[in-house]
Amino acid sequence: MKIKSITLKGIRGVRNTLPLDLNNRSILIFGDNGSGKSTISDSVEWFYSDSIEHISSEEIEKRGKGAIRNIFMDQNDDAYVDIKFSDSSHNAIRSIDNAAKTYNSNETKDFKEYLEDSQAERLILRYNQLVEFIVATKKQKLDKLQEIIGFSEVGNIRDLLRKIGGKIKRNIKSEQFDNQKSTKQSTLIENLGKPTYTTKEFIDACNKLIKPLNLNQSIKTIADVNDIIKSIEEKDDNKVSSMINFFGRVSETMKLVKENMDQEYINYQNYYDLFSPFQKEPEKIVKLSVLNLLEEGIQILRKEIFKEDICPLCEQTINKIELIRKLTVRLDDLSEISSEKEIIDEKASDLKSALQNNYDNIRSLLSEKLLSEAELRSFKELIQEIENNLKTFKDELNKDISQTEPLKALSLIKIKSNKLEFLIELSQKKLDELLENQKKNLRLQIYTKLFRANDAFKDYRKIEKRHEILLKQQNTFESLFSDFILRQEEAINTFLDLFSHDINDFYRIMNPNENVQNIKLVPLKDRTTDELLGITIEYDFFDTRTTQPIAYLSESHINCLGLSFFLASVKAFNKRNHFFVLDDVVSSYDRSHRTRFAKLLIDKFNDDYQIILLTHEQEFFELVSSSIVSKGWLINEIGWNKEDGTLAKTALIDYRSQIEDKIRKRDKSELGNLIRKYLERQLKSVAYNLDCKVSFRFNNLNEKRMAPELLDAIQSTLNKHSKELSEKAKITDFKGLPSFIANTTSHDNSFQESIEDLEVFWEETSKLIKIFYCNSCNRFVSISNIEKGNKKISCGCPDLTYEWKI
Amino acid sequence: MSDKIKSGKEVIDDFFAEILNIPDLHEETVQKLITLYATGKLTETNLQNALDKIIEEELNLMEKEDEN
Repeated sequence: MKIKSITLKGIRGVRNTLPLDLNNRSILIFGDNGSGKSTISDSVEWFYSDSIEHISSEEIEKRGKGAIRNIFMDQNDDAYVDIKFSDSSHNAIRSIDNAAKTYNSNETKDFKEYLEDSQAERLILRYNQLVEFIVATKKQKLDKLQEIIGFSEVGNIRDLLRKIGGKIKRNIKSEQFDNQKSTKQSTLIENLGKPTYTTKEFIDACNKLIKPLNLNQSIKTIADVNDIIKSIEEKDDNKVSSMINFFGRVSETMKLVKENMDQEYINYQNYYDLFSPFQKEPEKIVKLSVLNLLEEGIQILRKEIFKEDICPLCEQTINKIELIRKLTVRLDDLSEISSEKEIIDEKASDLKSALQNNYDNIRSLLSEKLLSEAELRSFKELIQEIENNLKTFKDELNKDISQTEPLKALSLIKIKSNKLEFLIELSQKKLDELLENQKKNLRLQIYTKLFRANDAFKDYRKIEKRHEILLKQQNTFESLFSDFILRQEEAINTFLDLFSHDINDFYRIMNPNENVQNIKLVPLKDRTTDELLGITIEYDFFDTRTTQPIAYLSESHINCLGLSFFLASVKAFNKRNHFFVLDDVVSSYDRSHRTRFAKLLIDKFNDDYQIILLTHEQEFFELVSSSIVSKGWLINEIGWNKEDGTLAKTALIDYRSQIEDKIRKRDKSELGNLIRKYLERQLKSVAYNLDCKVSFRFNNLNEKRMAPELLDAIQSTLNKHSKELSEKAKITDFKGLPSFIANTTSHDNSFQESIEDLEVFWEETSKLIKIFYCNSCNRFVSISNIEKGNKKISCGCPDLTYEWKI
Repeated sequence: MSDKIKSGKEVIDDFFAEILNIPDLHEETVQKLITLYATGKLTETNLQNALDKIIEEELNLMEKEDEN
């Protein structure tokens, strides 16, 4: 599938309509920063996924939809992306109305399947994705690589399975099921005379309990117990039983809290022993504060909130990639502090969860209606004290380690054991008194015991069931996680093996004759759990196997690696779509890498893929456009104005094809100007490559140099360094032509130039440029390719060489 | 080459298609997981809620059985 046309209306920066007629051809689009060229990649992403990831991270609820419509759009109009494909049955318009509701015009089954399949394909690469990869740690590298190759969701599912499994395991621990079960068994023993773990044991014990009542019925099921309770219940029994039950619950709960807290004290002491020494080391606190700052800073840089190359904190000019790289190195240095802090946080979280269970039990007691009675006021106050104690405990766990307030020692927050014991004794005493009063009444005594045992057994079964399901869920998630990481590892290993070949190939095309070879992506596993921890890149550097690209390779080289990853994944995954969008990916490439990058795209992808290449780099645009026109690419520019927002502009760069077209049609209008502009641009490249000296000018004025000045500078350089080139170029003979043409075509002049005059001007211009430009490797001769020993310069390949005196 | 490589989506789809072949799993939990994935709602919150609901449902079922 290739794209015939894309038309945007009211999307992002486009206020009116932006049409791009591609007709299945590749296109190079130039647009200054802020002109809205990324609107094109955003639109393609939105068309396929109904969201724009780099926006949705800031606007999670609406998945970025709130920012898709241009804010100046008429409220009644829909904004839309209209894509027409090589297969017209897939043509579709995705639109969005003022309420951020989206629609798709193509509702066929085929199209839905196509959209779904496209989710697994690699359609867009943005510059910031390359930057993220460069600066990544090994773990982040795994994550980023997974994102580039479409494995992000695999990583997300893996993390989800692990996270949920771990959470269930911690819940099981914090709920202290054994204590809960044992408390309920105590009540059962108290009332039935023995522990009852199974329904049969419980029913047998109940039958034994009611035997003295000589009832006509026996208990066969748990439901029968309720029936018996009802059948032997008399007026006011319920009130007495409720009292007995309540004091029983208080006794049970306090015993449970006491047992649980014994474990929580040990946990708190462990937490305290980690927290307090950490907090007392000012260096660690400083590092922790810096860690938070750096993490926040990196987030801001990655989200590209600041478009310019400045530090968001001090506002000094600095290369953004370099800044992210420095921050990542510092973050790596702080990773030990980060892990230490993570362990402390996890302990606090487990403790909080365990305390919450106890706290909830106490709160549940306090909600008991009986406590509103005046005679139980002091009892209520005692329970409230325990509640307050637990709250103090919880507050300690919310303390910020980076603040100065220290954690209270265990002895200061520990619930005084005599308080709990007093409550246990008091409730037991009340319970005993109530039971004592019943002694003369066998029926009431049995009724109460059966009532309490029934409640305790129900609770016991619930606790046991909950424990059992949680254990099953824990085991399930552990098994699923083990199976999943095996699958992930197998898929990644296959991917890495096969990809290493392509990556190496692409990288070497962009970096020939360099001492980096045999690039291979290698997975790193945890030695104990066997889990995939990260990915490292191995390569031969001057014949030595090494693994740290950041240490030895330049930014351009590392970007080449990132780009190679993406292109290799395009080759592997894009089965339905034979197009991809590269959004400003060459920003940090130096000149030689840019040329070779263009060569890579043309040599390896031009035949099979339609490429949408967006750039804000004027130099790259000019450099690449001359070599891609002959390959059938379209060239376009986009700009921005207040009225229309982003809009398409006529391409200025494709001078050669415009000039040749006009000569073919014998159309002399504007022809002289076009040749002059072409000449000036090419002379700038010649002057740049030969390091010709011109007089100083500020900023834009530097760009506005005319042909005569450039020709003088080139002539002067050639006179000094290369007699051979000077004689071949004959600049002195050529020099009059541009001025003549400029005067006759640009000003009022009685002399009217003919098409033949312009043909000569074009022929001479082409001849001159050909002397400096190699058609084999599409490069100018350059002093960067100097052979000092032979006193020669070349274009970089053997086809164009000249003598050059140093 | 590309035939041998699985995309991320293929890895996940295969996992969910073959998940029931993994021995000794809690069937209700796995079914919830499959449903959440199939309906595109597999998030941590949704999964946690679904797991809590399984416990709640099983406890309710046990209570109902006891009553009858």
